Amino acid sequence: MDLMGDLKALGLLVRWDLTRMWRRRMFIAMRVIWFTVQVSVFGLALSAMVRFRGVVAHSIDYYHFYLFGVYTSMLFSISVSNAYEVAEEFEEGIIEYHLSLPIKRSILSTGRALGGGIAAFIFTLPMYAIVLTLLGWGSPLALFASLIAALIFSVGVVGLVLSIVLSVKSGDATDILFGIIDAIIIRLSTIFYPAVVLAKIAPYYYAALANPISHFVDLLRTLFFFEEYKILAVTDPLLMGCYLLGFAAGLVSTAIYIVERKLEGGGWR
Amino acid sequence: MAAVKIVNFVKRFGEVTAVNNLNLEIYEGEIFGLLGPNGSGKSTTLLTIATVYKPTSGDIYVFEHSVSREGDTVRKFVGIAFQEPKAMWVDTPYELLLWHAMIVGYTSHEAKNVVKETMERLNLWEHRKKQFYQLSGGTRKKLEIAKVMIQRPRLAIFDEPTAQVDVITKHALWDVVREMRDNGSTVIVATNDMFEAEKICERIAIMYRGELRTLGSVKELKDQVPGGDVVEVSFEGDREEAKDALLKLDGIGRYMLGNDKIVAYLNKGEERAAEIVSALMSAGIKVKRIMVQEPTLDDVFFYFTGARLGEG
Ligand SMILES: Nc1ncnc2c1ncn2[C@@H]1O[C@H](COP(=O)(O)OP(=O)(O)OP(=O)(O)O)[C@@H](O)[C@H]1O
Ligand SMILES: [Mg+2]
Repeated sequence: MDLMGDLKALGLLVRWDLTRMWRRRMFIAMRVIWFTVQVSVFGLALSAMVRFRGVVAHSIDYYHFYLFGVYTSMLFSISVSNAYEVAEEFEEGIIEYHLSLPIKRSILSTGRALGGGIAAFIFTLPMYAIVLTLLGWGSPLALFASLIAALIFSVGVVGLVLSIVLSVKSGDATDILFGIIDAIIIRLSTIFYPAVVLAKIAPYYYAALANPISHFVDLLRTLFFFEEYKILAVTDPLLMGCYLLGFAAGLVSTAIYIVERKLEGGGWR
Repeated sequence: MAAVKIVNFVKRFGEVTAVNNLNLEIYEGEIFGLLGPNGSGKSTTLLTIATVYKPTSGDIYVFEHSVSREGDTVRKFVGIAFQEPKAMWVDTPYELLLWHAMIVGYTSHEAKNVVKETMERLNLWEHRKKQFYQLSGGTRKKLEIAKVMIQRPRLAIFDEPTAQVDVITKHALWDVVREMRDNGSTVIVATNDMFEAEKICERIAIMYRGELRTLGSVKELKDQVPGGDVVEVSFEGDREEAKDALLKLDGIGRYMLGNDKIVAYLNKGEERAAEIVSALMSAGIKVKRIMVQEPTLDDVFFYFTGARLGEG
């Protein structure tokens, strides 16, 4: 129907999330500082100690591995932290305000998923820049593809966040669920250990294989250090890309379904 | 065409039935008042019209579109000022209203103009750069109303717009409501304030415990209160004869008898004044003065809600 109107509404919803993220810039700044400390001090110390000798034939610099892992965990955490924001919005009645606006519900949910994803993506860009400065910027294609992948990944995570928070409609449940998701899901991935290492523990291994985080982080690694990671990664880059796309599309669709069909104001506990 | 048609509308929140089988029609172009004591289901009804809540059963049609099945269409027509001001923590009042103006359809240039104009009109301009916690209750309320003024929807909903607002602002807001109606909007106002209802509403519905108690113009509702009008007659002559003459008439409820004055409670006092005068005259009583007082809307409200509080 009114395509221009829909696009404009999408843009404004993204802007809403960017404004909100901007208000939390101190929180973000703290994260960036913590990140810098992590990658410079711990990272170097760790990589001096850990080598994957014996696991794979050729030696791999754990620092490469680790840096992408830390960046991914940051992007994931900041995307997930949207959950607390959305919960707060519910308590303040902002969700009800948005539900009353003269826009389509599908646009509302897509806009918020995009907005939250883009905001998380933009605010982790400084961290990504630090990572690439330490590791080298790769080819323009690798850089471009990695940025797109990061955006898709964070939009997918925010889609997940919206679907869950708007379904459980409870501040306590949100705190608990996302505390768990942030802590456990990251560990059940290849963020800090490569798939080949995990292969020794079956449930762990399969969880990591199915985990979109593994696909994202291994995609980044493969994009920049293909020769090192082609054997280590969960699967080949094209499949990882498709998996990410499917993940994001699936969760944004779920969020749309919930907002269109299920969501109503009130009832927040 | 009805602006809003509410059909067998039920809304439950778990065990609580907030609205129980409501049927109501709101005409296009009127200012409609929704009255009722706290917790009677006014906000629940308004929020469902605005598609924020979903009906448990029954349906509501806004300009003939169902809120259950055509929410996206319904929302194009509706603007609502919530009872509790919303969405204020994210940004300053000016930025919020600007965002609101754009999402309801203005270009960014138009938005700047209409926001400034509206904020100035409601004396909000000086507060434009404040943070939410710095704003008084009334100012927050005005911001909420400003959203609807900016939007100029075909169906404008105000949920207790003048609660927390000072007298001067109240009058200004009533002007705003009338103006919106004159410019083509249908307006629904929920209120606990009888004076407000009487001042601006053409028709009124009174809800009580989720049910519709009565519906009509202010005049009609007053006439429904039995013995509601107060007729006060000052006379010269025998008081007992005056009393007998009066009690021969139909529909006289309670009365009070003085030496040269009789006060009677009855319906439609205005219309029956002449009848009373001629009855007294033919009984040889000289009528010096007759005064008819309508019941206040407070009386109406008590009759339809408060009067029953003791029963339930
Ligand atoms: N989101 C909700 N969850 C649970 N119960 C609710 C919810 N909203 C309203 N109720 C209940 O439904 C009933 C009607 O509430 P509603 O807010 O519609 O009344 P109201 O007429 O607007 O009252 P007031 O004059 O106090 O604003 C009340 O008993 C209230 O407690
Ligand atoms: Mg209310």
